[in-house]
Amino acid sequence: MNIAILGCGTMGTAYAHNLAKMPGVTVTGVVDINAERAERAAALTGAKAYTDVELMFEQKDLETVAVCLPTYLHKPFVLKLAEKGLHVICEKPAALTLEDAQEMKAACEKHGVRLFIGHVVRFFPNYHDAYRQARSGNIGTPKMAHFKRYGSYPQGMDGWYNDPGKSGGVIMDLMIHDIDFACWLFGEVESVYASTVKRAEPQMEYAQLTLHFKNSAIASLTGYWGYPGPFTTQFEISGDQGIVRFDSNQVQSLDLKLVGAEAGEGAAVQVPSSPSLHDPYYNEVQHFIECIRNGSEPLVSIEDACYAVEIAQAAEQSAQTGQPVMIGGTVS
Amino acid sequence: MKKVKVGFISFAHMHAASYLFGMLKRDDVEVIGIADEDAERVRPYSVDRGIPYYADYNELLAQELDAVVICSENARHAEITKRAAAAGKHVLCEKPLGLSEAEMLEMIQVCKDNGVQLMTAFPCRYISSVRQAKETIDAGQIGDILAMKGTNRGTMPGGWFIEREKSGGGAVLDHTVHVMDLMHWFTGSQAEEVYAHAETLFNDTEIDDAGMVHVKFANGVVAVLDPSWSRNRSFPTWGDVTLEIIGTKGVLNIDSFAQKNDVYSDVTGKASWSFWGDDMDEGLVNSFVESIRDGKPVEITGEDGYRSARVAIAAYESASTKRTVQLKPQG
Repeated sequence: MNIAILGCGTMGTAYAHNLAKMPGVTVTGVVDINAERAERAAALTGAKAYTDVELMFEQKDLETVAVCLPTYLHKPFVLKLAEKGLHVICEKPAALTLEDAQEMKAACEKHGVRLFIGHVVRFFPNYHDAYRQARSGNIGTPKMAHFKRYGSYPQGMDGWYNDPGKSGGVIMDLMIHDIDFACWLFGEVESVYASTVKRAEPQMEYAQLTLHFKNSAIASLTGYWGYPGPFTTQFEISGDQGIVRFDSNQVQSLDLKLVGAEAGEGAAVQVPSSPSLHDPYYNEVQHFIECIRNGSEPLVSIEDACYAVEIAQAAEQSAQTGQPVMIGGTVS
Repeated sequence: MKKVKVGFISFAHMHAASYLFGMLKRDDVEVIGIADEDAERVRPYSVDRGIPYYADYNELLAQELDAVVICSENARHAEITKRAAAAGKHVLCEKPLGLSEAEMLEMIQVCKDNGVQLMTAFPCRYISSVRQAKETIDAGQIGDILAMKGTNRGTMPGGWFIEREKSGGGAVLDHTVHVMDLMHWFTGSQAEEVYAHAETLFNDTEIDDAGMVHVKFANGVVAVLDPSWSRNRSFPTWGDVTLEIIGTKGVLNIDSFAQKNDVYSDVTGKASWSFWGDDMDEGLVNSFVESIRDGKPVEITGEDGYRSARVAIAAYESASTKRTVQLKPQG
């Protein structure tokens, strides 16, 4: 499988690391408008570095492209890739609007190429396990859930995360992970309610969402860019016969403490971690590549990705209007 | 030493037992009697301990008493509080204070008219981590509060709690008020708008056992609270009281029952948490007694009870209309 990486920021670099060591995969090109970043990804993968995507299209054996661009660029580039007959693995969220996401889907169908959206949380072993537990009957029928996802304020190129017109903000960019997971678990959403807080100095964006599902289940989600603590995810799924929960701050299977470190360097010398053989992105991309090879359906479909965008948009709308938004067109 | 003379009216809510033990620990309190229409229910607390029993609480109110503790079914709080006030007794009333805005305002007014104090039993204010959080916030350490998320989850209590005519509501009423009181206390602001869901998800009951309550405060703070009876039998404890407070300068997390030992017992057949933190009920009782003894204003007023219970009442309205509900400014 010959694959190219479009966009060599944080996510593109992560893809480069993983794809470089994946059996049966050759990274043939890496593209970034910043030559230095493209060269860095090239060094990781042995691929050719480009600063102009058009030049990369001259590669004859290219089959698949991983799109790791800022969200607002997903649609124009995915449409172009589809036209060139290339399969697409695109980072989440699919696009900033449902319409754009659907246009991407339609274009890929028209040109007979596959399109996958990287909702990587479904590939996290802790979330995957929770899903299996909830579906196995071990906790009865899942009825309620809480999801929390807190991290520092993302530092993308030229501050694109800070521009809602480019990233969609904390709900669309960060909380969409948990929105997708909650919908995977509970099915169709009936209504969404959201409150948000956004401040400039220091930069932060926080939101609290409630999703009410057609089966009466309730999910409460909080997301936070600018959290002063370590990156944290938590969830709890409560069923009528049990509860499954997770806290990323309580799964450190390895903890290193060094003697003789100077005071004030606490963070640098206390390194708790939770090591795994592969990171979830590796498993995700490998799964998508497998789907391309054998034509099978992915764990997360393009319809799922479109639905997550629809719910995130509804949440944003609720935060703006202060009223719940009914899913399916009508505003309550 | 002049003792504070206290009577207990109804043990329908079993917090009464814990409040009683708190009172009995004090040298400056004399428990004059326990009134309950169910003699058997209170036998271990009354006659077995040499405390006089009254079948009719009016007879207890006729005794020489400074104050009463009311732990009846929610629907009787108003009637008993008004009688006690008319008899000139100070009142410590179990939460929720009442079942409608009108009846709670009347309770407050009648106590005022009779020159007695009305305290709402919100023991969570006496959790040590909560008190320290209040100091941290008041000292400005987390700056201005921007948002909060709380949980007061529990186990379906059964009995009269799930009979609407006695309880007035299920989990959303039972478990919204505690953390809502803390939210009011911490922000110093008033809930202004409520959006909520109330559902029956976990138990085969008529009454709501699950919900989610969103609140907007007058000062712009947004908050959400889970009051569900969602703890199952295998969960290591009965419930929780948590509150995350996001400020301009920091984030403060309260996990009230984190002070526990992990117990893995073949005898009980499950893992459980053994709580070893301070007793919040004792803190509540001590505060009430000291206010009455020293003639100081109670720390948690009837108005505080009203402010939190009206959020729960509005939550039911929102859940049925599927719209936000505006709370009328207090007169």
